[in-house]
Amino acid sequence: MNALAQAACIAAVALAAAGGTWLVKGPPGRQLHCDPAVLKPDEVCLDSIPAGDGVVWVDARSRADWEKNGVPGSLLWNLDPAEDMQAFEAGVAMRISETPRVVVYCGDENCGVSRQVADRIRNLDLGAEVSVLHGGWRALSEAGRVRGSSPSP
Amino acid sequence: MKKYACGIWLALAALVQAAGLHFPETLKEVHAPADAKTVPAEFEFTNRSDKPVTVAKADPTCSCIAVKIKDGKLRYAPGESGLIRAEFDMGNFSGTVDKVVAVWLEGDPADKPSVSLTVRVHIPVLVALEPKTLRWDLGGESGPKTIRIEMTHSSPIRVTGVNSSSSHFTQEIKTLEDGKRYELVVTPTETTSPGMAVLRIDTDCDIAKHRIQQAFAVVRKPTPSEAATPP
Repeated sequence: MNALAQAACIAAVALAAAGGTWLVKGPPGRQLHCDPAVLKPDEVCLDSIPAGDGVVWVDARSRADWEKNGVPGSLLWNLDPAEDMQAFEAGVAMRISETPRVVVYCGDENCGVSRQVADRIRNLDLGAEVSVLHGGWRALSEAGRVRGSSPSP
Repeated sequence: MKKYACGIWLALAALVQAAGLHFPETLKEVHAPADAKTVPAEFEFTNRSDKPVTVAKADPTCSCIAVKIKDGKLRYAPGESGLIRAEFDMGNFSGTVDKVVAVWLEGDPADKPSVSLTVRVHIPVLVALEPKTLRWDLGGESGPKTIRIEMTHSSPIRVTGVNSSSSHFTQEIKTLEDGKRYELVVTPTETTSPGMAVLRIDTDCDIAKHRIQQAFAVVRKPTPSEAATPP
């Protein structure tokens, strides 16, 4: 048997095994999982944040995304140079005075903008507890907590 | 069998080599003029591998940076050099700002770019406020507190007015040195109820983005960590 035939055999066996697993176990689970043991120091899991009015949500994505499917009641604060940073500061400061817990979320799991925005909010020194949401907008969407979403099964 | 293993190892080794663009500098520090709207930073690179290398994408982590590869050229032969130019839009940034440009080469995993380039921009702070936030504890003393305002521009900058978003506080501006140093003295009317004010400080600075500054005054319950800290 030549090398090509061997490779084809291996590929066929692997494909059959993958297909069998799919049939028995179902499609691969792509739902976001948040393990508190591996969180970065300033991150929180969505499960640990109660739904309701106890948190100021800050959306670090673009204005268009925030308007389309942000968390209801959230505030926008991104790093777009076209935006008015002083307006962001004032808006967040006013809300922090009523609710001193802030969670910033971004567009995806690895988005660093939410961490930069969280730093800026901390630097206001208003005494708020400021965290970054692990999993970002995707985690919120899967939990049905953004505009136009419903919880994933 | 040994022949195949050897072939696979050589192929993998070639891939690793191919992933090699050499950047003499991955951090560029730029000192921006106070009135600049954008500042450029250029990163030179050379393909030091023995295979052609293709830049798949160069992605800024912030909408405040525009990235261009010189002449739009993406494929580089061994020994060939190129240039990535990042243009930072200063917007309302101030102080020292680090922005990262991630560079993916062909074959890089989606979550692991081959190179991360950092643009460190030093933006002059022409009107410095210290501190930016004044705090009073709920139920505590309601005495006045002060924000020091210092102008660091080459020409004088004068404070032309201060407005507060809340009647919970009174404020008074004191001139220590005209065009150079001021004090903003803020006093809460009472500390028996929580309160927050955005203090808008207007100046005659000739550079628009530095003209208006913002500070905060807040009366609130101390957080548990603050309450545990001795005064």
